[in-house]
Amino acid sequence: MRRSFIARHPSVLWFILCLALFTLLVTVLSEAAGVGGLSTSFVKTLGKTLCLCLVAIAMDVVWGYCGILSLGHFAFFGIGGYAIGMWLMHARTGALVAESLSGNVIPPTETEIGTAIANQIFGVVGASEFPAIWAFSHSLALQLLMVVLVPGLLALVFGWLAFRSRVTGVYLSILTQAMTLALSLYLFQNDSGLRGNNGLSGLQNIPGYEDTPQATISLAFFWASAAALAAGYILLAWVVSGKMGSVIRGIRDDEARVRFLGYHVESYKLFVFTLTAVIAGIAGALYYPQAGIINPTEIAPIASIYLAVWVAIGGRGRLYGAVIGAAFVSLVASWFTGGGAPPVDLGFYTIQWTDWWLILLGLSFVAVTLFFPKGIGGLFDLLGGVRVPWRVGDYGPGKGAWRQEEGRE
Amino acid sequence: MLRTLLACLTLLWLPLGAVAQDLQAFLQSHRSDIADPSRRTIGMVIDDLVALDPPGTAAFLQAWQAKDIWVRADDGLFFRATRKSGNLLALHDIATGDRVADTVPGDALTQVKPNGGVRRLIGEALVRFQLSDPDIALRRDAVNAIANGLDRSQIVPLAASIEGETDPDLKARKEQLLTFLEARFASDPADRISAIEGMAGALSIEVRAILNQILAKDFEVAPTLPEGANIATILTPGNGLDRDTAYAALVTAGLARERIGADILRARLEAHIEGGAVGGVPVARLDTQPARERAYAALVAEGKAAPLVTVAAVDAALETHVFYEVYTEPDSTITDAARAALDQIETRVAFSQVADLTLDGISLASIYFLAAIGLAITFGVMGVINMAHGEFIMMGAYTGYVVQLFIPDYTISLIVALPLAFAVTFGAGVVMERLVIRWLYHRPLETLLATFGISIMLQQLAKNIFGTQARPLTSPGWLDGAWVVNDVVQISHIRIAIFLLALMFLTLLLVILKRTRLGLEVRAVTQNPRMAASMGINPDRINMLTFGLGSGIAGIAGVAIGLYAKVTSEMGADYIVQSFMTVVVGGVGNVWGTLAGATLIGFLQKGIEWFNPSNTLAAQTYMVLFVILFIQFRPKGIVALKGRAAGD
Amino acid sequence: MKTLLELSGVSVSFDGFKAINNLSFQIGEPELRAVIGPNGAGKTTFMDIITGKTRPDEGRVSWGEAGISLLGLSESRIAREGIGRKFQKPTVFEAQTVRENLALALKNPRGPLDVLFYRGTVEAAARIEDIAARTGLEDCLKRPASELSHGQKQWLEIGMLLAQEPRLLLVDEPAAGMTPAEREKTTAMLVEAAKTRAVVVVEHDMEFVRRLNCKVTVLNEGSVLAEGSLDHVTRNERVIDVYLGR
Repeated sequence: MRRSFIARHPSVLWFILCLALFTLLVTVLSEAAGVGGLSTSFVKTLGKTLCLCLVAIAMDVVWGYCGILSLGHFAFFGIGGYAIGMWLMHARTGALVAESLSGNVIPPTETEIGTAIANQIFGVVGASEFPAIWAFSHSLALQLLMVVLVPGLLALVFGWLAFRSRVTGVYLSILTQAMTLALSLYLFQNDSGLRGNNGLSGLQNIPGYEDTPQATISLAFFWASAAALAAGYILLAWVVSGKMGSVIRGIRDDEARVRFLGYHVESYKLFVFTLTAVIAGIAGALYYPQAGIINPTEIAPIASIYLAVWVAIGGRGRLYGAVIGAAFVSLVASWFTGGGAPPVDLGFYTIQWTDWWLILLGLSFVAVTLFFPKGIGGLFDLLGGVRVPWRVGDYGPGKGAWRQEEGRE
Repeated sequence: MLRTLLACLTLLWLPLGAVAQDLQAFLQSHRSDIADPSRRTIGMVIDDLVALDPPGTAAFLQAWQAKDIWVRADDGLFFRATRKSGNLLALHDIATGDRVADTVPGDALTQVKPNGGVRRLIGEALVRFQLSDPDIALRRDAVNAIANGLDRSQIVPLAASIEGETDPDLKARKEQLLTFLEARFASDPADRISAIEGMAGALSIEVRAILNQILAKDFEVAPTLPEGANIATILTPGNGLDRDTAYAALVTAGLARERIGADILRARLEAHIEGGAVGGVPVARLDTQPARERAYAALVAEGKAAPLVTVAAVDAALETHVFYEVYTEPDSTITDAARAALDQIETRVAFSQVADLTLDGISLASIYFLAAIGLAITFGVMGVINMAHGEFIMMGAYTGYVVQLFIPDYTISLIVALPLAFAVTFGAGVVMERLVIRWLYHRPLETLLATFGISIMLQQLAKNIFGTQARPLTSPGWLDGAWVVNDVVQISHIRIAIFLLALMFLTLLLVILKRTRLGLEVRAVTQNPRMAASMGINPDRINMLTFGLGSGIAGIAGVAIGLYAKVTSEMGADYIVQSFMTVVVGGVGNVWGTLAGATLIGFLQKGIEWFNPSNTLAAQTYMVLFVILFIQFRPKGIVALKGRAAGD
Repeated sequence: MKTLLELSGVSVSFDGFKAINNLSFQIGEPELRAVIGPNGAGKTTFMDIITGKTRPDEGRVSWGEAGISLLGLSESRIAREGIGRKFQKPTVFEAQTVRENLALALKNPRGPLDVLFYRGTVEAAARIEDIAARTGLEDCLKRPASELSHGQKQWLEIGMLLAQEPRLLLVDEPAAGMTPAEREKTTAMLVEAAKTRAVVVVEHDMEFVRRLNCKVTVLNEGSVLAEGSLDHVTRNERVIDVYLGR
């Protein structure tokens, strides 16, 4: 009597098909495995975009489905990046140091190698010892565990504190923003142990693959990002379908009612918050080796707000909407800010898009919230001929609840 | 002819200077010392001259210092000379300054060129004259010169000049300096102690520096504590004294052998490689510290290297020596008195610092109050967070800047800028409310994001118009400077003005909210919008006005903030988070709540900065963490609506 | 009939205003009870206290055979103990279908992991069908709750309460805004439900209360003014003074 998961949610199948086709196309056009129509840097941009799509669907689950406007998910993304960056930097510096020490008459001791690596990494912030948080940076496995554990634990502790005291709505958003701010300010300090505003760099060099051309590495990361996006999409689609989805959408629309049905609302919020934070961390761990550098600016609150903007423009409350929003806005942004857009000559004034792009974004953002609350994803409803719902007031008293404008069948 | 004239002049002076020796005569008797001065001998000459003090001494010393003294080659007389055109000199009498000759060729005289050291000695001697000079500016310079380099020799002239001092301020300053000098240099310990005790009342940095100089101490190490030394403290290695530092001090004092660290060990090993091995250990195996130590031990056994200093040896060395700090001042009664005086001063400094911190906290709280109150009002009445609030602050500051471009008088431009900034941001707020926020009233999270869109627009717009560099907003002259209570407690006039402005707005808002019809309606809408609407209040109008009011106050805050911080397109972003914190901590929709929130945040930030002054980033981090924890205990802020009105 | 819920000496005040003043109340299982009282009598606060939304300043609330105290338990825990509540304004999840609404309420383990790995069973589907039939919603199972009429939403909410299988049901003004026919049906549902469990109905409408034909508790100024059959309390002088007469 029960149909399969895919059959009940055909959009998942469509999405995976599109993603597979896109991956195939990029592979064929890439320099490493195909005709070379796409430059390596553009393959990297596409790979990074896929990671942004992954963090966007996580954001969509926490905001669009659970009604928590978190302004902290990009911080989790950044933490994931830092976690993998620590290993990349340690391993790569270790290789360089081993090379330079090999000229010594007497072979170096472990301590000497360690000190040399620490000097190399932390010289810029005037330190010469490994801080305690680098304790696991020598091991890829442990550091990969950190990619998952650190964002997860941070989200768990913060979420527990926030949800327990019944902070909701705008208050909660401000509080998550405060958390993000505190984290980025902390990372900006030189004695934070993560190289202050220098951040971690040289992450595009994968230890052990020094001889592999960047074209191949970029394609490999593109594939990994696509696979992670596919896996994340299926996982989150599964979570938000069925009874779990029913409960968290109930929490979004009327938290108190769900509570009186006997569900421990705080646990559910915490589950969603933590799960999405972990996914954000994984996305970050895939993103930053492609970007090559991570610094505290990446974690600043504004990045998390942009994340919310992508989801809103793409259409919240549907996973493919978040993917479309993230891909569309981030690609358009790099087109405008990268000087790809031709300047517009108005006769008396020439619009340089590097100066005016943010104004355009702000404007389109206001327009989307005002006139198209369903975002780009809403266009799919038009294709499917979905009727406008009737006899609907606002969906619930919750501060993140759906409103009349966003309702759909 | 000249000589006749000179004789006449000398004769003229005789009745007055009968007792005193003639200046020229004195110089003649020390001609070689003066014409070719050396630091060793000139000191005594200058002292003699000053003690004798013939007329014109001060002027002579000045000219000497300025290299204006020349010796005539044919008779050896000294003259003050000024250079005319080319190589020609005009000569003046050394004592009276009267012109003696107008055009004398330069090669007939030799210039006296004292070197730097001598000129300094001359300067010191000059100070004694200048201390009693009729020109108050010179006296001040002389007093400052003393203050910059306290010296034993200054006591007598300074004391002598106090009696005749007419200017009361300068007299007080001279007396203070005399106290300092006596505290440090008086020959009688009783005098020094009484001077030190007299200093205990003041708390200037200068006084503290003098006392600290008296209390200067050296870190020393010896096998036993020296007899009769004025010991400040005895230090124990491992307890207040780092063991490595202690051992290094032993090594420096030649009381222990230097430890052989890993680097030195490796260097010694490298120097003794023989046939691919050191001390029998193959080089390739030397990649661990124990292996290296084994190899080194083998070298020691062969007598090729000094043995390692063992941990036990270090312990023993530290054990058998005493580490202490000794005062450079040998007299313990004086150091005791200085310590007591310094302790007393430091207690008072601590109190003053608390007072200063309080003033700083109040001023920061005023700024946060101004920045946040607009946000709090709109949040309270409409339940929306205006992310563009910071950009309204920026808009106000730029309004002030633009006004200053047109009105050059800073006072008038400020008087114009304040209401204009209010008007501009009020207008912007109303436009934004009408165009955007009105349509999103029941979607608070979307409002947050939409206003964020507006915020990045406004920021970029300001960047496009005014450029990225900071624009100055100059405060009028009467706002410059600071109100100085004492050496520790002071606060700038601008901050006082901002405090008054905040106070004014607090009163104004309270009056508006409690005494006017508008305030009544605003409070009604805050507490129960539906009920208010059914009572005939037009919530639309109230929302519009409150939003305008909140934005307008942000504009005023912008002008105030711009007066002491730079006006940039990003200045709003610096204040928006603090404003959020203030609102969240204070509680929503209540002026007193915002005041309490601003006070808490302001004082907290100053307090954290005080504990950790070098790191403002850490201060902000801790503050945010505090706010997150605070929310745990008072989720609705300090001043929260209770019961049914809370509407949860 | 055993005592299921007992409140004794409960008081609560908001900013000095005593909403509930030394209130004592008992209900057994099964029983149908109507609570009436003028506006501000503390009816809603009374329900808030039982369901854990409001913490009383003093007094005891004990539940079940073991007499465990409900004070200090979270709302969701109290709900799991077997107390269901229906709000004055129908609150169903408008964005979800009737079936999803009922499935959400169905008595099942409530932990996040239980829910995440929940697989619908044949019995559960049958239960939903059954409740839908009892509340007259069998044709609407696939429709979003937002499309239902006001009365249907009220029934859906009652259906959700039944799906929860509570031992005590608190119902706040179920008949408000209903047509006479709908009221009739609602009355029948409540009476039916009260055969196996305790039901407390807070209501304004005397006609509706009369139709329930049960014991009545009159609240005034936060405490019990009178208790007994409707005829008994309507004859009470003080009840007439504060509520009925005027």
